[in-house]
Amino acid sequence: MSAVEEIPPQPVPDEDSIAFWQATANGRLEVCRCQQCRRWLQPPLERCPGCWGETAFEPVAGTGNVHSFIVVHQPAIPGYRDKLPYTVALLELDEQAGLRLPGRLVGVEPEDVTVGQRVTAELEELPGGDFTVAVFRPV
Amino acid sequence: MGSALGGAAVVGIGRTAFTRKSGRSTLAMTVESVREAVADAGLSVGDVDGIINFNTGDSVSSQRVAHAIGNDDIGWAVDIQGGGNVVAQVVSTAAAAIVTGQCDVAVVFRTLGSGTRYGRIDTTVQVGGDVQYGAPHGYLVPPQWFAMWARRHQHVYGSKPEDLGAVAVTQRTHAVANPHAIARTPMTIDDYMSSRMVFDPFRVPDCCYEVDGSVALVLTSEERARDLPHPPIHILGQGDSFGYGGNVDEFDDLTCMYSRDAARRLWSKTGLKAQDIDVALMYDCFTYTVMATFEDFGFCGKGEVGDFFREGRATYGGDVVVNPHGGLLSEGYLHGLNHHYEAVLQLRGGAGPRQVPDAKLALVTAGAGPYGSSLVYGSEVA
Repeated sequence: MSAVEEIPPQPVPDEDSIAFWQATANGRLEVCRCQQCRRWLQPPLERCPGCWGETAFEPVAGTGNVHSFIVVHQPAIPGYRDKLPYTVALLELDEQAGLRLPGRLVGVEPEDVTVGQRVTAELEELPGGDFTVAVFRPV
Repeated sequence: MGSALGGAAVVGIGRTAFTRKSGRSTLAMTVESVREAVADAGLSVGDVDGIINFNTGDSVSSQRVAHAIGNDDIGWAVDIQGGGNVVAQVVSTAAAAIVTGQCDVAVVFRTLGSGTRYGRIDTTVQVGGDVQYGAPHGYLVPPQWFAMWARRHQHVYGSKPEDLGAVAVTQRTHAVANPHAIARTPMTIDDYMSSRMVFDPFRVPDCCYEVDGSVALVLTSEERARDLPHPPIHILGQGDSFGYGGNVDEFDDLTCMYSRDAARRLWSKTGLKAQDIDVALMYDCFTYTVMATFEDFGFCGKGEVGDFFREGRATYGGDVVVNPHGGLLSEGYLHGLNHHYEAVLQLRGGAGPRQVPDAKLALVTAGAGPYGSSLVYGSEVA
């Protein structure tokens, strides 16, 4: 343990991503979506790359599959050096094939995690600032 | 046939020692490697009129280096922002500048100092861009991203931890014969399997060995190369791919890499195929990078890398020698420009005890994940 409490990396929202962070802060997981062709876009864009339609953030169910995962044993990242091991997964959301979000897995031991496992999102305050993140719990 | 890039050739190579902590500036190391490469080419620094490098904001600019080698009459100076992904692209860009008459003698360099270590973050960071979503979860450094990809490959193709280990062991065995390599302690598969887990499925030996150092190449026109001391090493063609905005979470298939698309371009432009290659300098920031790209370039089928390496087909006496210098995993992480140095040395026949017999064609790949570049060098014009 370090003498000074370390905080995890903090996101720096930009014009395209600010609504994502505003939504989680307000208790909702929302993802950018084209209002014309209805394609989901992560990371978000002002305009759809396919049809150039306007986009907006819409709620997602927060359910999906573990597309892949790692178990971190190395104290490489501030805010996590005293929380080893922890599991980070790449989640594929149910809304669309290939729509992915990275997130920590909670409520499961690393050895019980499998690719394809069903998970659901829950929101958690990120230490050190004003941000809320979506973590994922096996169902 | 052959690419117009064949109108340029590599005629000089230079490098510093690779060390864990040099105590030297990136400028000082660059001057050493560039002066060595120019001398190796049989030229003087006054002959240089073009210079290019790549960096991530962690090294010195091309024009600063030109000034420090004592040449203030540079007509073409380029700084490319990028990492391992752009290495082959930087070399082919220098070749293109020569064949289009923008310069006559071009230096290519890459330098890394102790201020750059990509494997860990020491201070609290604020991150924007594509990594703002994963970073708050403690998911921010490249070995984590490619461990994620490796797990997916294990799921889809049934590749095993021992398969990644076969890559690490083969390359370490090569490094033992390379006095310049930083990691020369022999390693067995048992050593690998009992090594420390860092980002499961990656262990310590799955990750490259970060060092301080500098590598430089000198290129000139085919015509001028004929009068120089070393046989010119020709660029037979290049193939790059830059997809998905470089986003490691979004790439459509984590069991492949940029190489899926770069290989298609490279082989179609050169008329070559993997089985023609004598030496493969595979970009190897991680063992999994070798696995995915080796498959994508067509040396073997998906999921077959472990057997290919275990059966000795990736070393001397096999189908192709992969990273005879030990690669980034064991020679040291000079961001892939050391692969070009080794390719040129091998095709000159100057690699000493680790010389690949009768090496005529070398593939050099650069990058991992959604974007990267590649080229083929030949000891003869195609």
